[in-house]
Order: sequence, then structure tokens, then C-alpha cells
Amino acid sequence: MKSRIAKILAGLAALVVAAIIWLPCLHLLFARPLSEFRQNPGLSPKARQLAARHLQLWTEPALREQELKKMRASNAEWDFMGRSYLVWSLANMALRDPPSKQLYLQTMDQIIDETLRLEKQEGMYFFLMPYAKERHYLVQPAHSLFLDGEIALMLAARRVVEEKPEYKPLLTERVNVIVERFQKSPRMLLESYPDECWMFDHCVALDAIKMADYLDGSDHSALIRGWIAMAKQKLVHRDSGLLISSFTTDGAPMAGPEGSSIWMVAHSLQLLDEDFARDQYQRARKELGEITLGFGYAHEWPESWKGEANIDSGPIIPGFEISAGSSGMAFIGAGTFGDGKFLTSLAATLDFAAFPSRTGGRLKYCASNQVGDAALLYATTLGPLWQKVKTGGKP
Amino acid sequence: MIKLFWQRLAVFQRAEFLSARDLLQRAGAISVLFLVAHVAGLREFTSVLNGTVGSVAAGWKLSSFLAVIYILLYLAFVILVPILILAAMILAVGQRFRRKQKAVPGDR
Repeated sequence: MKSRIAKILAGLAALVVAAIIWLPCLHLLFARPLSEFRQNPGLSPKARQLAARHLQLWTEPALREQELKKMRASNAEWDFMGRSYLVWSLANMALRDPPSKQLYLQTMDQIIDETLRLEKQEGMYFFLMPYAKERHYLVQPAHSLFLDGEIALMLAARRVVEEKPEYKPLLTERVNVIVERFQKSPRMLLESYPDECWMFDHCVALDAIKMADYLDGSDHSALIRGWIAMAKQKLVHRDSGLLISSFTTDGAPMAGPEGSSIWMVAHSLQLLDEDFARDQYQRARKELGEITLGFGYAHEWPESWKGEANIDSGPIIPGFEISAGSSGMAFIGAGTFGDGKFLTSLAATLDFAAFPSRTGGRLKYCASNQVGDAALLYATTLGPLWQKVKTGGKP
Repeated sequence: MIKLFWQRLAVFQRAEFLSARDLLQRAGAISVLFLVAHVAGLREFTSVLNGTVGSVAAGWKLSSFLAVIYILLYLAFVILVPILILAAMILAVGQRFRRKQKAVPGDR
């Protein structure tokens, strides 16, 4: 009996020692050099594989239908955002990989044209969550800055890569609507949903305005400066110094600072105010980013804010408080600000926990979906588009 | 006859709890189960992790159930299996060391 207990204790001790050896080594199975994920110049292997999968979705309608059906069952916004991220990614890819530019431009045009057709045919609610219909927009006629901003940025990105005359009036019209509303709004806050405004959407819309200025020689720099000054003053969470995610048209906070929003916001701000953008990224990195045993991930909220899991945060893994939404978007922040250590550790987590699936040179993450993979593709390719607009070279 | 053949194979013989062989048998069983789940295509259902149904036809309940099975088996495969194998190796080395120590006085 004594010997049996001793054997069991020996077995348990061996398991503990083995766990102490294995757990710190686990990330080595998934860690890859940064160049696997992002390359400058050119395209990384991961970018090519992710892009191949997305291009396949746009050449095989049945496959795309199946993917969109799955996403729309949860959130119609994802269908729309998957298009936006893919177009923005393809714009960066066209600048990184000039020999394939025509293929990327064709796909961008196909996505933009289909999105505009659906918006016209089905109305703006087609790409919004159902609660958009439950109340009236305060400003009539109803417009969603979420749609206007992202569509404008898609059109602008396409034109920055190569001019397409048909898109010029479409971009001007979309930008004029946004600018006019900014000018009429007492607090410069525009609705994405009825009396619900999002930081993410404001920053994307301002990026589109900045790009329209670059393309067409207009000048909205005063509006952009004014909006950023207002945001620094009124839309910053005091304890963390991070911009809040959503607010009413009066500027009353609805949600606090959120990882699912701030990483993209910091990226968008880079085109508008580099110093403020870097400040927001560094705060987000400190408040939300973590690396444990070589695996990177991100929280949805800083410690000073308590929130509940929602469609944007994704499920929160208790204990480590890992948010799938925030961790996915953290790639965009880390890629924008060249945070190689964080990016490499995030990529290790991705390959460990997002279940990559490769077929015929195409890559998708099973734990993700089309919009998640498109945002990842954007993280692997972002840079050249902003660079071209910032350096002010001829369009 | 066939049953006897399988029983004689060391890998299928019941081992002492937490012995090196027991740990290896458990590691093998987990690996086989994971392989079956993987080949059956359950990986696709892990999209429930981001709030997307794994298959519209299968529905939420079945998709979530299959996703949980796959995720648990996957975690067991990448985390537990190496630990079980390492622990078995540690036990085997320990046993050999103890045997050697016991054998030394007799040899003299």
C-alpha cells in the first residue's frame, strides 16, 4: 500500500515537473519570425495566403454566399466590414505588389460596386444591426456614419492606388454629406445608429476626408484639427487616457475605452495626428496588451473600466480576461506602430488558438470568420496607403 | 483469438495508475481521439468562438457542442499530451536510476 502511494506521488510529481518544463516552451511550437506575418517591402507569406482565400471568395459566388450567410446570422455589420477591410487591404497590397495591381483593382471594384448596389437596393439598414430600426435617427434624412465613412474610405483607397473617374463624384458626394453634417452638428458628433456615435466610425470618416483632400485638392484640415481637439478634451476616459468607444450626439459616454475599437482608432489617427495616435497606441498597449508565456493577447477594457462581453468584444476568456475582438484588432495597432515583440507574440497566439486551416496555398482561421480574417489581412498589409497620402506625393 | 492478440499487445494492457506506461497510454488515447475529431472536420465548428455559427444547417446548439469537443481535444493534444510524455520519460529515468542504485551494492 505504502509503495503504491509512493508510486502515485512519484507520478504526480513527474506531471508537475513536466508541466513546468512544457508550458513555458509551448509558444515555441507556434512562434514564427515577424517576416512570416509582415514584410517591408513586399508581401509576407501569411498575407499572400490570407489574400488567396479572400480572392477565392470573390471569384466563387457560392462559397461567398455560404460565408456571408454564416456571418449575417450573427451580425450584418460583419458582412459590410469584411468588404471594407478587404478593399483597404487590397489597396495596400496593390502598392506593395505592383505586378498584381490589376487583379487587386478588379476585386476592389467588384466589392465596391456590389456594396453600393446593395446599399441602394436594400437600403442602409441592410448592413446594420436590427436595433437601428427601433428608433429614429435624430438628424434626418437618416445617415449612418459607419456606412458613409467606410464606403468613402473604400472609394478613396481605390483612387489612391489608381484613379477611376467614375468613383470621383461618388467620393465627393459621400464626403460632402459627412462634412456638411459635421458642420451642422453642435458637438461634431454624428450618428452611426440612432443617437449612438462611435469613435471608430468618426476616425475612419476623417481618414476618408483627409484622403479626399489629397486626391481632389480640397482642404478640410481645420475641420480635422477641430475634431481631434474636441475629442482630446471631451471623449477621453480620465483614468486610462484612452478615447472612449461610443457616445450619444450630446457627447455622453455610452461605452468606455474598448480594445475592439481603440487599436483601429489609433491606426486611423496615424493619418490625422501622428503624435496623438502613438500616445493612444502606447496607452492601449499598457492598459490592454499582455504577453504571457510567449503568447500575446488583449483585454477589452482597462482595469479602471468594467464592461460586459458583447458582440464587439467577442467571448471573454475568464482568468486571463482575453477578448477575442480586442486581440484580433490588436494586430492592426501593433502592425501600425511597428511593435514587433507584441505582433510576434499575437501571431503565436493566433496559430495556437485560432485554428489555422490551409488548403492549396489559401489560409483561413476557423475560429475567426471572413471579417476577422480580412482585418488580419489588413494588419499584414497596412502601411503604404497611409504613407502615400502622408508624404503628399502626386496621386 | 483476435481479442487475445490485442490483449497481448503491451500498449493495450492495463497499466498501474500514474505509471510511465499509464501516462503513455493516456497520451496515445488523447492523440487518437484528437486525430479522429480533426479528420472528421470538427475544426470548422470553432468559429462559434467569435459568435459565428459553424454551420447554418447544423444550427447553434450542435455547432457549439462539436466546437467544445474539438477545442477540448485540441488543448489536451497540444498541452496535456507533451506533459504526459515528458512525465513518463521522467518516471522511466527515475526508475532506471533507482534500479542502478540498487544494483550497485550487489555488484561489488
